[in-house]
Amino acid sequence: MQHKLRSARGSARLRISIGAASLAVAALGVAGLGSGAASATSSRATSHASAEPWAGAKTVGFIMVGEESDEGYNQAVYAASLRVKKDLGVTTLLAANVPETQQVTTVMQQMVNEGAKIIFATSYGYQSYAYAFAKSHPKVLVLHQGGTYTGGKFPANVGTYFGEAYDPVSLGGMAAGAITKTNKLGFVYAFPIPQTVDNVDAFELGALSVNPKAKTYTVATSAWCDPLKQKSAAAALLSQGADVLTQHQDCQSTVIEAAKAAHAFVVGYHYAAETLDPSGWLTGSVWDWAPLYENIIKTAQAGKFTGSQYNGNFIGTFKSGDNPLTLAPFGSSVTKSTQAKILAAEAKLKSGTSIFKGPIYCNSGKVLVPAGKTATPAQINQFTCFVKGVVAS
Amino acid sequence: MTTATEDVSPPPGQSPPDGPSWRAAGSMLEAFGRFPGWKRLGAAVGVYLVCLGLFAAVVGTQKANPIGVYDSIVHSALFSPGSLPEVLLRAVPIVLAALAVSVPARAGLVNVGGEGQLIIGAVAATGVGVDLGRSVPGPLGWLLMALAGTAAGALWGGIAGLLRVAVSANEAVTTLLMNFIANDVMLYLLYQPWKDPTGGGQPESRPLVATEVLPRLFGSSINLGVIVALVVALGVYLLVKRTGWGFALRVVGGNQEAARRAGLPVKRLMVSSMAVGGGLAGLGGMLYLAGTQIQLLPGGTATYGYVAFLAAFLGRHDPLKVVLAALAFSAVAVGAPGLQLNYGLDGNVIDVLLALIVAAPLALSAYRKRAF
Amino acid sequence: MNGFEQALTTGVEGGTIILFPALGELIGERAGIVNLGTEGCMLAGALAAYAAGAATGSAWLGVVAGLFGGAAVGFLHSWLVVKQRADQLASGLVLWFLAIGLTSVLGTAYVSKTVTALPIVTVPGLGSIPWIGPILFRHDPLVYASYVLVPLVWWALYRTRAGLVLRATGERPEVVSVAGRRPDLVQIAAVTFGAGLAGIGGAQLSVGYVDSWFDDMTNGYGFIAVAVVLFAAWRPILVLLGSYVFGVALAAAAVLQAHGVAVNQYLLDTLPYLVSLVALVVFARGGRSRAPEGLARALTNTS
Repeated sequence: MQHKLRSARGSARLRISIGAASLAVAALGVAGLGSGAASATSSRATSHASAEPWAGAKTVGFIMVGEESDEGYNQAVYAASLRVKKDLGVTTLLAANVPETQQVTTVMQQMVNEGAKIIFATSYGYQSYAYAFAKSHPKVLVLHQGGTYTGGKFPANVGTYFGEAYDPVSLGGMAAGAITKTNKLGFVYAFPIPQTVDNVDAFELGALSVNPKAKTYTVATSAWCDPLKQKSAAAALLSQGADVLTQHQDCQSTVIEAAKAAHAFVVGYHYAAETLDPSGWLTGSVWDWAPLYENIIKTAQAGKFTGSQYNGNFIGTFKSGDNPLTLAPFGSSVTKSTQAKILAAEAKLKSGTSIFKGPIYCNSGKVLVPAGKTATPAQINQFTCFVKGVVAS
Repeated sequence: MTTATEDVSPPPGQSPPDGPSWRAAGSMLEAFGRFPGWKRLGAAVGVYLVCLGLFAAVVGTQKANPIGVYDSIVHSALFSPGSLPEVLLRAVPIVLAALAVSVPARAGLVNVGGEGQLIIGAVAATGVGVDLGRSVPGPLGWLLMALAGTAAGALWGGIAGLLRVAVSANEAVTTLLMNFIANDVMLYLLYQPWKDPTGGGQPESRPLVATEVLPRLFGSSINLGVIVALVVALGVYLLVKRTGWGFALRVVGGNQEAARRAGLPVKRLMVSSMAVGGGLAGLGGMLYLAGTQIQLLPGGTATYGYVAFLAAFLGRHDPLKVVLAALAFSAVAVGAPGLQLNYGLDGNVIDVLLALIVAAPLALSAYRKRAF
Repeated sequence: MNGFEQALTTGVEGGTIILFPALGELIGERAGIVNLGTEGCMLAGALAAYAAGAATGSAWLGVVAGLFGGAAVGFLHSWLVVKQRADQLASGLVLWFLAIGLTSVLGTAYVSKTVTALPIVTVPGLGSIPWIGPILFRHDPLVYASYVLVPLVWWALYRTRAGLVLRATGERPEVVSVAGRRPDLVQIAAVTFGAGLAGIGGAQLSVGYVDSWFDDMTNGYGFIAVAVVLFAAWRPILVLLGSYVFGVALAAAAVLQAHGVAVNQYLLDTLPYLVSLVALVVFARGGRSRAPEGLARALTNTS
């Protein structure tokens, strides 16, 4: 009896909330039916005679993991999408702040529903979702910003691309190595994924090339954007004596502000943020994705994507002139002679030399790249060890 | 489902079986008298309209047309290609994590740990699934993964239950803390021992082999997990409403002291309710992994555990109502991207709508409780 | 500065970000209301502070705005819980979601804007004491404010009539009613004020410590604040210690790495939570009796 009474009381309460909830859903439904499918009036891609379903595509989607105004990774993507829209006259569908979860799939599906034939999934962590989506949607061209496909034969509708990020990062390392008084450089990063390990290594190698005593101290924050941890990391590095900070995080202003407050120098990453700290800014590596995006889109529009260089692990390089990561302008603290050295090194990289030319040793003493050998992009994308001179656990 | 019981009124003159429930029943009648159906309905409609209006105002500040925004959500969630299966798939972890809140709630316990229990369930299922590979036939593989996921979730929830009865550590807080720990455990495994050697160095486990992936149904993208979730929800309904254990939980939740005096093993019931709850969420993590994600990925649970807590609240801890609430939340999430694509709204704006949907019944709580 | 000092210094800075919301949460819980939306109050405070700081150029006006931002969310919580008798935990989570959504929408314009952060002020005399000076007396003024706030909250709770009424409200609201006071108003005031402190914690994060605004920048620290109050057994001085334990654990992770000490970063990340759990277990023995009675009732699910 008690049991029944209690559930009676419970069920009446339920009815209010659930009744209200279903009412809300019903109200939404009426709104939806009432105004019909107004939201689906996006441009449909014109059907083309070509075999590739995305030929002549007029709508392109861009998915970003963070805020489009983060003065970082995502703003670079956003800026490029604006250029693409202007230069190619395509409709762009933008989705920012999309977490690396099932939401990626939902967003891609919505983009397709809105007429997108080409989708750029611009975060490493979108990889699995992007490939799975491509598999179930063979008529949609899915491009992943990462360049790390390892699944064997490339599907016809997938491309993944990145740049030799480590090239400009090594140039930033030179600027840092030249200016440091303490010979201690600080590097704040999120997680030891290969792209980050490459950057740390390149930074240290660049610094060593101008200053054999330079050491890079690293702190991992285990988060792509946790300002509190970034600040702690910066403070720890600064108190340890580092007088130049750099980073591989999604949001960069916290570390820059910390360096500024301590009158230390910064080497930026992702986006030119010299306005945040004009006196401390040395240089940085900044993304310029638009040319690459436009080349990929044009190739796809022409119906020539499958089998092209973009239908694979495409890595833009200084040598081929299509590295999407470029050197940012120099800050006022960088001396003319350092600038000249850096520009000379850049010219050498453009002529085809690599910073990962052996012999290079891991900080454990193990050989990373044997003498006389140069690491291939595929090998570099598998690096897991920090080079000698990097202080890291 | 409750129609049989709801018009049971206490026989006049009969002594009440126990104080609180008698009072509650009395207050129910009083509340009914004071607020006849139309008035309660009016209040509910009014509050929901206010909440929907507030959301419209928020999107209005972003120069988006509110009517269009609602249209976009509904269209994206219900009427666009592939959206309905997506709603069902997404609801799977939310339903199970919400049931994980509802079962302990019967015993008066608050499980805020759905998120961590989902994660740890997915982690355990991954460990078993990747290890087994093709060595066992599919159905046995699913079963073993499900057992592992359930056991891990049960452990995660059970620990909080144990701490509660052993040292009176508040379970709302311990489960919350254990969410963060579960996430760090997952990150550790993904970045170090479990990292897929062929995954380009990205933090992801090796994918499950094809036979371990839950099969799709009726040629759609819906997988077996959807059916399992529904069956489990029905099972939980029967468990809490039709079994002695479920009844005992209600007694403990109603009045611990009375339950103790009646000879019920109160501590064991409390721990077991937390373990069962955690196990449900753990199973949710496994179904999500084996059905949707295929490989363990960082951040994959996407605050489903917290959304589930709200779904459990919205469903007033009744298993079947909880399923409906979870479906509603899932639909809102699936309907969200349209707001970005068509109106340039910030992706997180959908959290505002989600909050307001739950805020409405919260604001109505007084109507339900006034007679107390 | 050696690594040990550095960990403690950064620990105090970071700990302060948890201390403000934790003190605020303590006040609310003493009045019988738990605010799981503390995270949301911090976010609201962080954005309000940053926006006001950017608009006026004054970080101090930012702090005031942070107070009001947090208090606004807290007021909503207290109104739902006290006046509408809403479930406390659900209401808190709802406000968390609301705050994430709203701050993300409204905050887009402020991502990567710059403000002039609160200055670092060395306390004359005290700041030059070896060891203690750098750790405790070379911070932004909000840190010093927190030093004053802790004993102030203790004094107000235990030595004033208002504090007595507040504690009585958390234990036995009926008694307060009989004594001619309005327990509902006491609760609303306590929760709103406490949330205002959480807002100041958010301000300390955005315009004090890191000088940036990002979506969801509190990353769960508001939940930690709630946990700190519980394992501190509702005592201001233990709240202070608990907050610093968290701050130091976070700082230690960075300092150890910066010194090249081999650590497992994931294990280290779990440390603050494990410490809290252990502390809960150690202090919780019999702790339930120390919990305000009204709160203990509220934390038991009876729907």
